[in-house]
Amino acid sequence: MHGSSDRSYLWIRVFAAPILLGAATITGLLAALLWGTAGQYVAWVTVGAPVLVIASAWVRCRTKKTGQLSPIRRGK
Amino acid sequence: MKARNVRRWSWVHTWTSLISTLFLLLLCLTGLPLVFHHEIDELLGYAPQPEAHASAARATTQQVADAALAADPGRVLQYISWDKDEPGIVTAFTNKAVDGLPDNTTVRAFDAVSARLLGPVGVGPMLIVLKLHTDMFAGQAGKLFLGAMGLLFAVAIISGVVLYWPFTRRLRFATIRDHASRRVRWLDWHNLIGVVTVAWTLVVGLTGVVNTWAELMLNQWKATELASMVAPYAGKPPPSHLASLDDVVARARGAAPGMEIAFIAFPGTPFTSSHHFAAFMRGDTALTTRLLKPVLLDGETAEVADSRALPVYLQALLISQPLHFGDYGGMPLKLIWAALDLLTIIVIGSGLYLWLARRRKRAAVRADTFARRAPVPS
Repeated sequence: MHGSSDRSYLWIRVFAAPILLGAATITGLLAALLWGTAGQYVAWVTVGAPVLVIASAWVRCRTKKTGQLSPIRRGK
Repeated sequence: MKARNVRRWSWVHTWTSLISTLFLLLLCLTGLPLVFHHEIDELLGYAPQPEAHASAARATTQQVADAALAADPGRVLQYISWDKDEPGIVTAFTNKAVDGLPDNTTVRAFDAVSARLLGPVGVGPMLIVLKLHTDMFAGQAGKLFLGAMGLLFAVAIISGVVLYWPFTRRLRFATIRDHASRRVRWLDWHNLIGVVTVAWTLVVGLTGVVNTWAELMLNQWKATELASMVAPYAGKPPPSHLASLDDVVARARGAAPGMEIAFIAFPGTPFTSSHHFAAFMRGDTALTTRLLKPVLLDGETAEVADSRALPVYLQALLISQPLHFGDYGGMPLKLIWAALDLLTIIVIGSGLYLWLARRRKRAAVRADTFARRAPVPS
């Protein structure tokens, strides 16, 4: 039982974010089609969300790298 | 997931991706400028611009038709269309014959008020990009082939989602292992970009597949629904003279109150029978502007013959088009579409790199094992 609930927790941890992003994308794609101008605004946020996630991951990586280089530069 | 299952899914993911890689790269690379085709056409001077008029009185449809035939002597009209986003323009399609090949069609824009010729439509470099994207200059066979590649892509996406679990379950979401080897870094990027864009790529991929079946669906509609609509007129010859288009427009509007005409198909064209005009009507909401309703009118008298909603599969086709093109949410949605297209190119490219890197690694391991087993010369 314990192993099963651990596994469920792990499954949710791995797939929660992708499922939320997928649901947001589908909502946005349909919103612009069904709700006119208001739906367009929804679509910009929700369909754009995956792009923002990638952009933030990229910025985080760049920041980490810069942070690692700084002490070396300071040491020089 | 058991190791054997992972290997099986990995095999499916690898080969469905590899087989479709080249064509998907072509589709993504050509799809990128197509997102902005209207803006590019305008920039390069291939988008006809309506004239400025003090009066709002529009030219009649018959005047536009006469102008189109005068601009293209010796040819016949196939379609006249009205774009809801370009109210100042009416577009006319002429060909050698009403059932002439699509490649022989000439498309010209006319001013909606003066009926003056504004210029050709659908020419210039974007036409080449569009042909590469839709059928690779191979006609219906090319379309169906690209549709098959789209289906393989969908299988690759689904198998990729299945494999996301064993490859990332020990990592936090969006982890990129910076300190690891280049291969591992790219594996993390491949997994992350792939999983966050999965809904968009599936929607765009599958709606693209549906679009490749457009001609088959149209043929099915003609063979079933349209055939039953024109059955009472069986045996009637093609019209000896055509009814006034102004009558056709007025009666079509009367048969579909609250709707506007999207386009008129002339008798004998693929969208209607040999004896009837077909006026395809659209609604005025975001959704109903996409869903067309055909009204059949007698080619000689313009009397309404029949009007029925399109079957579900053609409605699905019409709804799938904006979901594939991304042209229904203004410029911000187009920019997001372009960004997601670029991310898909990165996923495809990184997948190819990961496959090559794994092959190289395996080859190195095999060479090492072979070297260890080989007898050492004394």
